[in-house]
Amino acid sequence: MVSFREMKDKGYIPQKTYLKLMIGGGLSLSKVLLTSPGDLKKLRTIHGSEERYIRPKRPYGLPPFTEGMRCGVTEEKYLRPTLHCDPCDPGVVALAHHLGAFQKSDYEFAKAAFEFTKENLDLEICPMNPVEETIQRGAGTCFHLITVFIALCRCAGIKARYKMFAMNMIKAWYDVLVEADPLVKKWYDSMGYFMIEGEGEAYIDGKWVVAHVGPTAERQAAAGIPITKFGEDSLGVWFFAIPGTIMYMESIPYGLGGATNILKKIAPGSMERVNISIQHQNEMGRKIIKDAGGKEAYDAMARKKLGPKAPLIDLSDKKGIVFGE
Amino acid sequence: MLILKPLLFEELLNGEMTMGKQDYQEYIKRFDGYLKKYIPSKDSWTPVDDALYTPPDLFRIPLKEAYEMQLKSIKYTFLYQYTNNKFYQNFCKERNFSPDDIKTLDDLDKIPLIPDSFFKDYPTGKDFALWLGNIFTGSLPRIVIKESNPTYDEVINAFNNAGMTVSYSSGTSGRHTFIPRDQRTFFISEYAAAKSVISMIYPLWDYHMHGYLLMPNPKKTNVYAGKVCTIYFDAIQDVRVAIDRDITTELIQMTMTDQKGVKSKIVKYFAKRESEKMIDEIIRWLESHEKTNEKIALVGAPFILSFVMKKLQKEGRGFDFSERGGVVTGGGWKAYEGVRVPVSDFRKQVEKVLGIPEKYCLDIYGMVEGNGWMVHCPEGHYLHSPYSYYKPLVLDSEYKPVGYGEWGRFAFLDAAAFSYPGFIMSGDKVRMLEHCPVCDRPGPVLEPEIQRASGEEIRGCAEEVRRMLSADLGKET
Repeated sequence: MVSFREMKDKGYIPQKTYLKLMIGGGLSLSKVLLTSPGDLKKLRTIHGSEERYIRPKRPYGLPPFTEGMRCGVTEEKYLRPTLHCDPCDPGVVALAHHLGAFQKSDYEFAKAAFEFTKENLDLEICPMNPVEETIQRGAGTCFHLITVFIALCRCAGIKARYKMFAMNMIKAWYDVLVEADPLVKKWYDSMGYFMIEGEGEAYIDGKWVVAHVGPTAERQAAAGIPITKFGEDSLGVWFFAIPGTIMYMESIPYGLGGATNILKKIAPGSMERVNISIQHQNEMGRKIIKDAGGKEAYDAMARKKLGPKAPLIDLSDKKGIVFGE
Repeated sequence: MLILKPLLFEELLNGEMTMGKQDYQEYIKRFDGYLKKYIPSKDSWTPVDDALYTPPDLFRIPLKEAYEMQLKSIKYTFLYQYTNNKFYQNFCKERNFSPDDIKTLDDLDKIPLIPDSFFKDYPTGKDFALWLGNIFTGSLPRIVIKESNPTYDEVINAFNNAGMTVSYSSGTSGRHTFIPRDQRTFFISEYAAAKSVISMIYPLWDYHMHGYLLMPNPKKTNVYAGKVCTIYFDAIQDVRVAIDRDITTELIQMTMTDQKGVKSKIVKYFAKRESEKMIDEIIRWLESHEKTNEKIALVGAPFILSFVMKKLQKEGRGFDFSERGGVVTGGGWKAYEGVRVPVSDFRKQVEKVLGIPEKYCLDIYGMVEGNGWMVHCPEGHYLHSPYSYYKPLVLDSEYKPVGYGEWGRFAFLDAAAFSYPGFIMSGDKVRMLEHCPVCDRPGPVLEPEIQRASGEEIRGCAEEVRRMLSADLGKET
């Protein structure tokens, strides 16, 4: 049983910003649910003639665990096990060793863990579960995937954490579909609170290095954007966080798992359609990459279109600004 | 009334003036006379000041002279930014570009452009102050921030109390664009906006006319579209303000976006009531001026005037201000995008309901990041760009400049931006023409309506779910 102190210390209890988003979202969504219960039917149904979701075969084998394989976990913050993330689970340890834990430098290992997670684990909307189940399944939400990356890093003795943020609406899509229908707008806006996205971060040579493991190369190609590299932030490039909502966490907080469970219960039909749509995106992306002449060629082409990177601002003190007088 | 064509610059210089042209020179002289405080003393002029204050009409400078001014002024400002702004210098160094690389007009196209999203990607609290401070070019005045975790408004007020003008966009998409201006840059921006409009609307402007500002009171907001109108109070003797209350970033987020919550609902309720009162007051003002022969000018957000006209039409009423009335709109439709009227229809509606001719109903295209103001010409309503201190560019899908006649992303090189690097690419989609197809002003123009450029974007898993749920809900059962 986890003590209250541990819950607080490890960040199982949601931060104020997260809590505000969840409470706001819960109230708003409850109101919509109570005032339009009939709409729910549309979310539950999958008609007989509709395409069904078949999870693709996991593209990797599970390396065997042998006694004596080391796990680098300690009681230090960002190195210890947290909710849904046990870095010493045999499945995690075996995979970490397979990827070069304790043989490669911290940077090289974290990069290998990033590339493995990003390119092998597919996006699938499903309830939260322990990290070993995600590795066995080979798919999960972005939080499942970040957890795999974090567990692998912690197992190799590298500190790792979650970076979460609420995202702005995607304007182009909003204009076309949402604005056109008041019912859709009502639902879409009330769900805005739950637009939590995330990335992983590994602490290497005194710096937090970001790992955007969520999308596969194929999904990024389908969206027309470059293939993210280790250390490249999605924020400010194709994700834009609502200011003030970026949160760094040692653990997934309580409530995140519950939200996906509820979603699965109230909208199984829609969830299945999301997963089918993701597979279609992957298929489209595969074709785009093939037509471009491979991942590297596609990436170079997409980076040209991405335009110049924004300048970097050093937030060190600026002469003239005085705090706290 | 005889409407006279604005002067040609070379005719002005040569002194070949007819009575009407002399009138224009007098007109702009009078304008400069009222706005003396905005014009720095001539001994401190830089090539930028030369390019802005010397030409009597920013849209009628002969191309050869204008492009000489453009090269000199942009080169001057680029060197200033490169020397005094650390982040921009690093940005240029990464792209192997330095002031020595600017030799000809064509070299200007190679100046590294900052994506506008950069100015929207800001942190919170004390870091926000440091972020603003680091965007600022040159030495900051002493800025004291007392709060331990300051809000955006507290940081902005601290900067502005130190003599700066930090302003922002309305942020209807949930994120503002913040730009720090010092007094010099702010005055240039205001003067450029006023001069651009006054030239285009010649000969309507008169200091003794009556104005209605369809914007928040510039003294009570830091929203740039409102703030830049401070000069309206110096250019016209009698100005009324439509929204005369404090407008903060928090208030904007609650009224202009889909922010939820009890507080937001209360604010929206009162904002709606205030708006109804505001529309009635504007109508009363129009009624009182209908009875006089004095000139009037309505300047500001198109949606406010649209609501006024809708109410008048609903009541079967109208006015006939004819050629003693003018309407200048800018700032877009914001949260009222759903009721947007195409600019040509808007002008027709203005003529029908207020009796103001289309030639005196002009729209301005500008943005918080820039100090160049593109204004409709009265003849064809194309957006004329100033071109002596400002270079408009259109970029293709690979962010390279394209020629005239092509659609692309709007970007600009703004020599008037001293307090921040004003070499920026926007998110707007435009088409630029070498000359106006209707009038004889020689400079480049943009098509009258501006569109948003579509950007690359990826949906995260939460967005995938939200999108699908919403799409499913939108289906017919």
